Amino acid sequence: MSQQFLPDNPLPQEAKVPEEIARFSPAVEAEIDGHLAKYPPERRRSAMLPLMFIVQRERGWLDKPGVAYIANRLGVRITDVWETATFYSMIYTKPAGKYHVQICKTLSCKIMGAGNITEHCAQRLGIKPGETSADGKFTLSEVECLGSCGTAPMLQVGFDFHENLTTEKVDEILDACARGDYKFAVKVR
Amino acid sequence: MADLIKVTINGNVYETEKGARLIDVCREHGHAVPSFCYYSDLALQASCRMCLVRIEKMPKLQTSCTITCTDGMIVTTESEEIEKAQRAMVEFLLANHPLDCPVCDRGGECELQEMVFDWGGLEERFSERKNYAPEKFLSPMVANDPQRCILCKRCTRVCDEWMGEDAIEAGGRGAHTVIGTYDGWLNCSECGNCIEVCPTGTLLDATYRHQARPWELAQTITTCTFCSDGCQLSLGARVGEVMRAVARDRYVDGINGEFLCIKGRFAHPFINHEERIRTPLIRYKQGGRLVPATWDDAIGYTAARMRAIGEAHGADAFGIIGSPRLTNEANYALLKFAREVIGTENFTASDAFSLAPCFENLSAPLATHRDIRFAKTIILVGGEPEELQPLTGKQIRQAVRNGGARLVIFNSVPIRLKEQAAQFIHINPGTEDAVVLALAGANDDELAAGKLGVEAKTLADVRRALDETQGDCVLLFGSELSAAAMATLAQLPQLLGAREGRRFLLHPLPFYNNSVGAHDIGLMNAKLSVAQLLDQAGQGLRALYIAGSLLPEHLRGREETLRQLDLIVVQELFETETTALADVVFPAASFAETDGTFTNNAGQVQRVRQSIPPVHQARPDWMITAALASALNADFGFQLSASAVFREIAEHIAAYEGLRYPLLKDESRPVQAKHALAGARDMTGAIQEIRARIQSMNVTSARPTETPKVGHELFKPGTLTSKTPQFPLLYAGNPKPPTVLVSPLYQITVDANLRATTVAAGD
Repeated sequence: MSQQFLPDNPLPQEAKVPEEIARFSPAVEAEIDGHLAKYPPERRRSAMLPLMFIVQRERGWLDKPGVAYIANRLGVRITDVWETATFYSMIYTKPAGKYHVQICKTLSCKIMGAGNITEHCAQRLGIKPGETSADGKFTLSEVECLGSCGTAPMLQVGFDFHENLTTEKVDEILDACARGDYKFAVKVR
Repeated sequence: MADLIKVTINGNVYETEKGARLIDVCREHGHAVPSFCYYSDLALQASCRMCLVRIEKMPKLQTSCTITCTDGMIVTTESEEIEKAQRAMVEFLLANHPLDCPVCDRGGECELQEMVFDWGGLEERFSERKNYAPEKFLSPMVANDPQRCILCKRCTRVCDEWMGEDAIEAGGRGAHTVIGTYDGWLNCSECGNCIEVCPTGTLLDATYRHQARPWELAQTITTCTFCSDGCQLSLGARVGEVMRAVARDRYVDGINGEFLCIKGRFAHPFINHEERIRTPLIRYKQGGRLVPATWDDAIGYTAARMRAIGEAHGADAFGIIGSPRLTNEANYALLKFAREVIGTENFTASDAFSLAPCFENLSAPLATHRDIRFAKTIILVGGEPEELQPLTGKQIRQAVRNGGARLVIFNSVPIRLKEQAAQFIHINPGTEDAVVLALAGANDDELAAGKLGVEAKTLADVRRALDETQGDCVLLFGSELSAAAMATLAQLPQLLGAREGRRFLLHPLPFYNNSVGAHDIGLMNAKLSVAQLLDQAGQGLRALYIAGSLLPEHLRGREETLRQLDLIVVQELFETETTALADVVFPAASFAETDGTFTNNAGQVQRVRQSIPPVHQARPDWMITAALASALNADFGFQLSASAVFREIAEHIAAYEGLRYPLLKDESRPVQAKHALAGARDMTGAIQEIRARIQSMNVTSARPTETPKVGHELFKPGTLTSKTPQFPLLYAGNPKPPTVLVSPLYQITVDANLRATTVAAGD
């Protein structure tokens, strides 16, 4: 019984990064250094968002070692990283699927039938918005305006826009993803 | 005096200092402005929108907490427009707040509840479903009910600005923002200040939750019994049981504001603990058991034994040891007992180090905690205030963060305060004396720098900073200094000379709540240290009269010789390693059961007040001493009244001259003892001594490079703190339990093994 009470989580001050991501590959480290170089050393924390995107790209989501890595690189506390990460819907604080399907739910899209699209996706994938499918392939979410009101309704897979949607068009996209031959126009990971 | 400007509030013209905040000025003059998120001396938030006022020539209503007064400002705080806006704000705040006051622990002392009485509507117009989140524990000390949160963010600001820990933060966005922490478990110093400043029932004291309602508690303002800062707190007691300790503004307004550390807030369960010694105990024969006795028997027995020893071996066969944990009254009674009843100078107090060299050479006043907050330059030599004197630590942090002070730290350990330091000078372990040598003058820079393991230029920089200071310069020092170095540091203001616009202040960092008082009373002035006194055991010393317990460092290794003594009398709360050696044990009253005074590290004499009657058969320490004296035919003249003891202290101790309990009544205006300032002394001897000491010193450059864990000192389960069941758990690393919905206390009962091992490990 006493086993589980052994102190295993570090105090915020001494976030230890597990060996595996003490460093990323040289190319990624160089990219991170590039972001850090944009800001004066005492304002390092300004690079938090770019770093989060990079860590997320490399690891799929902001897992514990990832958060600890960012905290150490920026000299901030874990809670600061957590605070920022939870603010943004594009930062995943839980494991996300390979294909993140984000359906715009703001006014223009809503009027043009975003509700139906969401319902259709939810039915096809068997998950509710905010959930990830059991096979880890899909994450479905409803997001605020993505700035493509002229072509509503629309959704985004990764960073790719898919506009003027109909249920058939959605099926095509989801089929491609399910088969595994969906081509990301913008690299996700 | 700063420039005065005129502000018109509700048609009345007031003069105020330039730069004053409007909400403060309004409140000062009796114009009630409601607010939640505004908290004096914290970063501004302006999120609750309750403090709205109308200012002429400004568009829209303004939040008075963010407005700095300007000359000629015309302000209205009460009008139909403002009331309408404020009522709307309360309605919004209640949109997600559950109306469950009858089951909420904050009910009866909740700021939101009070505000709703004044500004709330009769009915709720929101028909939407409220956000819901189950209540949970954030740590063994902090319970959290997220749905009650109104997002004033006082807790996050307090955690960041006061404690420098950033342990609690606001996650999420918009209406779904929650106060919490990464991974849902707080690994911090568990000060509980977030609980204190929370205006609603969102963050609650997990150790007190659901045990009492605030209106059942009798509040007693008293002084904390743990460290030397002397925070003022309010003990809430119900029928002879202390239920909680708080520093909330509505009950108490002391030097610490609403600040307390984990010990002050959570370590009170020792008061009513079942292991308290209940009756006097006598060990009739060597190696026997301590047997309960009546007071009359125990006093009579002790007196008879003392008389016999006195007749056989003379007065100097006795040793009297006071304690820096006891009240001034208790220590004074002991001193009087030693001098007048026994007739010996064999007395001392069981403190870790003596402040006598500092006070004998004191050449500048002691810095109050307020002085530290507004100081311009702060030099910290050794010590670790954030763990050992948390209020001083907080004041230093705020002086830097909110006041722009320049903090210079000399320490061999990278303590947490170094994050705030303008200059953290990492010195070799044990070389603190060399710092004093370097501060005193440039002659020894080469030697000092060499031993410290820093560059000579660094030391010159610090001296220059001292030279250039405009305003207050506070010198703080820890226990590491030798007597000569402490004396030289106390003379530093004289050595550096007066300079226009600069004032030196000193602030020692002793360990115990009444270390300074024990010194003032005269116990620590004695020629003897505790170690020297104990070493006389068997060589002339036949009997010891100990109040409190000996420190482990003094006791360890001397048990056998002490066992040889004819008589050891101990006054204690609990059975300790010291009572294990005792022939007679008297049950003493704790700080919550006695009247008296403590003197803190700023020299402020503060009242200790009786919150509950002494538990079981305990009696205040000074009363026991007086009873023993009267059994030995000496009348102390104070049998029942602590104020009579203090009156006598005021007559005999110069620094306390003229003080009386009524003068110490107001905790918001603490009275500083008048420690005599020594003029310029010739310190060449002391400096020579330091120089010799440093020269002969073998230094190692192996400095600890890791910042010590939060709570490595605070969580140490001592005699008193280990009586709070959560302390051993925290000391074991505060692991996150598998489910945070189960009471942390339950987890502790399950895990009795771990508790036993950690108590043993932490003394």
